[in-house]
Amino acid sequence: MGIISRGIKDAFRNTIRTVSITFILALSIAMSLIMLIALKTVQAKISNVKSSIGNTITVTPAGVRGFEGGGELLTTGDLDNINSIAHIAKTTEVLSDRLTPNQDTNLVSAIDPGSFGNRMQARNGVIISEGTSRQEINSKRSFTMPITVTATTDFNVLASLSVSQFKLASGQLFDPNTTEKVALVGQEIAAKNNLSVGSTFQAYGSDVTVSGIFDTGNKFTNAALVMPIKTLQTFSNQVDQISTLIVQSDSIDTISSVQNEIKSKLGDKADVVSQQDTSDQALKPLENIKTISLYSLIGSLAAGSVIIFLTMLMIVRERRREIGVLKAIGSSNIGIVSQFTIEALVLTLFASIIGIICGFIFSNPVLRALIENSESTGNIANKTVQIERGAGMMVARLGGSLDSTKDAFNNIHAVLGWQTIGYGLMAAVIIAIIGSAIPAFFISKVRPAEVMRQE
Amino acid sequence: MLSVKNLIKKFRSGDTNVFAVNDINFTVETGAFCTIIGKSGSGKSTLLSLLGALDKPTSGSIEVDGDDIAKLGDSRLIEYRRKKIGFVFQNYNLIPNLTALENVMIPMEFNGVDSQGQRERAEKLLDQVGLSGDKQNRKPGRLSGGEQQRVAIARALANKPKLILADEPTGNLDSATGKIIVNLLKNLAKSEQTTIIAVTHDEGIAEQAAVTFKLKDGKIAN
Repeated sequence: MGIISRGIKDAFRNTIRTVSITFILALSIAMSLIMLIALKTVQAKISNVKSSIGNTITVTPAGVRGFEGGGELLTTGDLDNINSIAHIAKTTEVLSDRLTPNQDTNLVSAIDPGSFGNRMQARNGVIISEGTSRQEINSKRSFTMPITVTATTDFNVLASLSVSQFKLASGQLFDPNTTEKVALVGQEIAAKNNLSVGSTFQAYGSDVTVSGIFDTGNKFTNAALVMPIKTLQTFSNQVDQISTLIVQSDSIDTISSVQNEIKSKLGDKADVVSQQDTSDQALKPLENIKTISLYSLIGSLAAGSVIIFLTMLMIVRERRREIGVLKAIGSSNIGIVSQFTIEALVLTLFASIIGIICGFIFSNPVLRALIENSESTGNIANKTVQIERGAGMMVARLGGSLDSTKDAFNNIHAVLGWQTIGYGLMAAVIIAIIGSAIPAFFISKVRPAEVMRQE
Repeated sequence: MLSVKNLIKKFRSGDTNVFAVNDINFTVETGAFCTIIGKSGSGKSTLLSLLGALDKPTSGSIEVDGDDIAKLGDSRLIEYRRKKIGFVFQNYNLIPNLTALENVMIPMEFNGVDSQGQRERAEKLLDQVGLSGDKQNRKPGRLSGGEQQRVAIARALANKPKLILADEPTGNLDSATGKIIVNLLKNLAKSEQTTIIAVTHDEGIAEQAAVTFKLKDGKIAN
């Protein structure tokens, strides 16, 4: 019989008390573990989503969106300015223009305006004077869709083409830096205009050769053309100008500093948006869950410590005479403190085993409840839909990132590993030691002489 | 082997000093069975606490086998209690969730004796005090008062102490059992060559002792 075996025996001295304390402590430990698991799971998910969203920053001229708005495009001077910033891995230049059928090109648009297109055209201020016949009105209000022309310095940066895929159905890609009068055409416009590889068409008063036909999986972008940037700059009288710059930082960690540098260099001239900005808003509910989990974890650990502290205090007071007798028959303070600490450890570890089992069982349901009850989750889904119904190329990019963020909420599963169990047991030991520390002080103050006087 | 000189223990009670032990002097030989008798409040328990190093005197000396325990530091006092003193309490004060055998083994554990040695000596001591067989494996709750006091005496003898201090050892026992216990103490004093000092208010027990000190108001009256 030693200190350890006495401590273990003492832990089970009073069955009802042991069961009650174990139950309450197990609840506290289970809650701590559940919150720890939730915290780690959500943290991992946030990091994972941010990593999958990527480290891309989009720089557009202030006031310009697609073909709407007004202001001045960016220049190659701005590009040089940005390229001097540290932690930039790559920059991709994009220029866009529109061709009007029967004016700038002999191509026919592959997209019919429909009621949407006609209504947009009416809002663009087609003037109908008094006395104009219905037939004339209808002819003025109906129009041919313009043909979008995009140029990029890197076909591998899909965001530059506002597409999620870009496959070459036939032909070959051209060198993005060439000045030749060549173009890649989408499948829809190729079919509409009977174009094949090697065909020529008229654009900007010049003959342009089809070097390849592409498929983006999207009708709108399949009705567009892609040209070399220098060629398009010359054709459209936008030499040395770019409409969008896509900047990639060298890592997720530097994206924020790069973004700030770009903003400071370009000032009011440009809008600088990172996909992280968009994801931060979308990930706010997860961040809220992370905060709740952290505070709950701290609260549960504190509750556990208080429980074991009060328990040991109660036990020490109850066994004051016994402590006095042990001291009288030769035990040291350290021996008695060790015995009570072991008792506290046994209670806590026993409760930990039950708490860990409960933590395993309830971690996923609690995590799902936290996510479902997070108010912003539903709003995020609606925002995504609204944005997708908006206009233009920019939307496809945003929609892509938010899709992956939406997916973040649907695919969160608590990950329960040995490391987490280890943390749980370590927390239990710390709780036991902290909880028995102050009662240990009281033990040291018990005077054996009191045992005699109380007889 | 026990020599007490000019022993004083003073307590503060409000603005008043209370002399629980007031200039006590006596000597006891090795192996003697002595009693300290007196009314409640005469200072018996305080004197016993001082002799057992459970408390420190205000002044004076207590020499046990040549060592003045009044001058020992805390760690030395713990060692003194462990090696040289055995206690027998009125309420037995056994550890309730340990068996009789385990209760007797505890002081030996504190003294660094190996577990086999603890068990052997504990069994022998319990046999000596008349508790044998399956009773040695019973917890105090399943033993009678007299049996519990026998266990307490065996525990007090565990580390072969020089001095056993018994505070009202028969206080909670019937007269017949009390006599058995007193006889046991007397015999053990001789056989183990241990000095036994028993505090009691029972004159009958005092008559059986070789020396009796009558305490009154903290002083020895006889």
